[in-house]
Amino acid sequence: MTKDTIPLYDVIVIGGGVVGCAVMRRFSLAGAKTLLLEKGADILSGASKANSAILHTGFDAPPDSIEVACMQAGYTEYLDIRQDLNLPLIETGALVVAWDEEQLAQLDGIIAKAHENGVEDVVRVERDALHQAEPNLANTALGAVEVPREFVIDPWSSPLAYLRQAIDAGAEYRFNTNVTDGEFDGNVWRLETSQGAVSGRIVINCSGNQGDIVQKICNEPEFEIRPRKGQFLVYDKSASSLIDAIILPVPTPTTKGVVLTKTIFGNLLLGPTAEEQDDRENARVDHDMLQGLIEVGTKMLPDLPQHAVTATYAGLRPATQFKDYQIKAEAGKNWIGVNGIRSTGLTAALGISAYVEQLCAEKFAEFGPAKTLTFPQMPMLAQHEERSFQEGDGTEIVCHCEGVTRGDIERALVADIPAKSLGGLRRRTRVMMGRCNGFYCSAKVAALTKGKITPALGGGDET
Amino acid sequence: MSDYDVAIIGSGPSGIAAATGLIRAGITNIIVFEREAEIGGIPRHTHHPSFGMLVFKRPISGPKYIKKLLKRCAGVRFETSATVLAIHEGGVLHLATPEGQKTICARHIVLATGARETPRHGRLISGLRPQGVMTTGALQQFIYTGKMKPFQRPVIVGTELVSFSALWTLRHAGIKPAAMIEENSRITAYRPATLFARLLGVPIFYRSKVVDIAEVEKLSRVGIENASGEKQSIACDGVIFSGKFTGDNNLAKASQMGLNRSTQFPLVDQNWISSDPNISVIGNTVHPADMGDQCYLEGLEAGRKVAEKLGGNEPSGHQIRVEPGDGIRMTTPNMLRVGASETFVSLNLHVTKAYSGPITVKYNGETLYKKRHRCLPARRITLKRIQLKGVVENTDLPLEVYLGK
Repeated sequence: MTKDTIPLYDVIVIGGGVVGCAVMRRFSLAGAKTLLLEKGADILSGASKANSAILHTGFDAPPDSIEVACMQAGYTEYLDIRQDLNLPLIETGALVVAWDEEQLAQLDGIIAKAHENGVEDVVRVERDALHQAEPNLANTALGAVEVPREFVIDPWSSPLAYLRQAIDAGAEYRFNTNVTDGEFDGNVWRLETSQGAVSGRIVINCSGNQGDIVQKICNEPEFEIRPRKGQFLVYDKSASSLIDAIILPVPTPTTKGVVLTKTIFGNLLLGPTAEEQDDRENARVDHDMLQGLIEVGTKMLPDLPQHAVTATYAGLRPATQFKDYQIKAEAGKNWIGVNGIRSTGLTAALGISAYVEQLCAEKFAEFGPAKTLTFPQMPMLAQHEERSFQEGDGTEIVCHCEGVTRGDIERALVADIPAKSLGGLRRRTRVMMGRCNGFYCSAKVAALTKGKITPALGGGDET
Repeated sequence: MSDYDVAIIGSGPSGIAAATGLIRAGITNIIVFEREAEIGGIPRHTHHPSFGMLVFKRPISGPKYIKKLLKRCAGVRFETSATVLAIHEGGVLHLATPEGQKTICARHIVLATGARETPRHGRLISGLRPQGVMTTGALQQFIYTGKMKPFQRPVIVGTELVSFSALWTLRHAGIKPAAMIEENSRITAYRPATLFARLLGVPIFYRSKVVDIAEVEKLSRVGIENASGEKQSIACDGVIFSGKFTGDNNLAKASQMGLNRSTQFPLVDQNWISSDPNISVIGNTVHPADMGDQCYLEGLEAGRKVAEKLGGNEPSGHQIRVEPGDGIRMTTPNMLRVGASETFVSLNLHVTKAYSGPITVKYNGETLYKKRHRCLPARRITLKRIQLKGVVENTDLPLEVYLGK
């Protein structure tokens, strides 16, 4: 194909993680003609599929960093729009718990930093009050810092909602599309992909763990992605009542604490580990590391072993050698790199998108006129809200563990941005995400998704 | 006012049996709620003859078995695609149906929600997350119900009866597994089952476990490690985690019913009545997983006991906890209601590892039972006629059951 016939966009976003989805939303709503290129079979195929799903206040982020600014802007905007998009929230608050004298000595510093970051409502909680608030915590908990506005959200429906808004504003997306190379002629970028060439006036690199590889299309990156693996355990719903608030660790030079939190889906989450690895694609779980997590979790919550583990997973966070995000417009290149968005991306995404829009306006271009805002209604997946099986959508429950109806599945397969992979379907509906791992429902799900997802669940052959 | 005399949750062999026991005792205003679209529980997707030996004196396939059992309880009302969401005090059930939620009330509730296998995640298996990793239950639904072939050459993890059921299911679909993998030095099922594997040319790796599920796009191998720490790779395109059954007792856990402190199973007495006298718990929910026939026979008896209770014979007596020792996974009953009339009780148990030797039951230092048993895990061991001599009311002492003298 010649350059004249390949499609031209105002903005091409590489990477459909939470950051890419939020950036797509911002530029599409602003009036730009946008395209999302995603290597995986669905959005959230990389770093964004596995995190702790906490909406952070930024109380412990590095002061005066881009990160804390984006987190706090993202936090505010999320709370502004989430109800209009039918996105759930649990106002858990968080407790940064000290388990030894060394950690206890850190608490005042944590409070000071929080106040410096403008999170003024962070206060000290003494031992007795802590145990009164969280009676299931081990008695080795010595004290805590309360962060009242740390909340739990739906990590998958939120970015999907961002992209849905973008699509409503005319955005396009392509999955299974790996960007392999590109060239800038001083005016327009031509990107080569596994699905043919596309061209755009501005390229925004939101490719997460592939960040430095993709950045090389533009220039020699000043940063290096050092994937950091975090393994998690999901406990059955019976365990979620063991805690009220998110239990956060005190970061010390000697310990890499883990988090205990409710999930929006009604489970209890324990993790992550923090392991450096070279592999950017595959995040293995490891039996011994999981066992180690259980031991750590049980020291905090002695009743934890009475509850079953329903899932294990590992995520890769796109860390770099630097502490702060690496967001930079490349002068004369019409390229913005949005890199090194570590574990705070879910909170910060909307803030990052505003930051990038401003950067783009200053350095390259502004777009308009703004599109009319729509508010697609996301399917409600939160345990504490009314689900379609409770309303009665006229179809039977297929996934008993997670209460997913046939209607839920059928709708996810035909919705705007339909699920085209099992992972995509699971994240949109919760199907097969429960304690039985598909013992009851996987064959039914295979029948319902036949010809609609790749690879097919249950293989292609008939007996 | 109650809508029903008895509401049974689950329509597997246990639930059907309880309904049958009740009908036979003249209690007819009953209903069985089944969350699936079809009645029958596990047997409905177990299409080979592993049922019926105790009840019909001949082996028959799961679907046929259910058909035959249903003939014995004509007139019982079943409601399918009805999911019980919560059990409340006073016999109140909260349900979801395709048309929406509803609440019903019964004088008595029977929980017969069955068991499922422990899948990959619950076993904390290392590796990636390819498709083609499943349990036997899922496999049977793929092959028998869905007519699908999820893989060509899987490995089977485990050697319980159900593992050989997986082997049978694969054979039916013309799939030859690459291997069976067993943690212990012998199979968990009866030894002759090894012949079946040998006949099909399927090697069994003993004292081995899966330590890596590799390749994310399409499964191509698993890594196994034996007790000496030697690792090897087995080429395969699927993994079937079979057995390690766990009771599906989430409803019980979320309700007001008490749980056995050490096993976390719902408390259930010698008449299958829970700590709430208006609720019975039967079948593999409380002893995952005994044979379908054993569940059926027990369910008949439990149904009869419910009828007696509804006839005025209220559960009474002091509640005594049954405390299992090391190596015992669970007992049923796991609680006794001890009154004046109770003199003997039988106890079923499962061991966690093969054991040959005495099993002892003690109360307050006094031996009530001691006999030698040969025990293999994942099957019912019965301690018959334990004499409840000296088991007195109004103490907090448990009945201790342990392996050894």
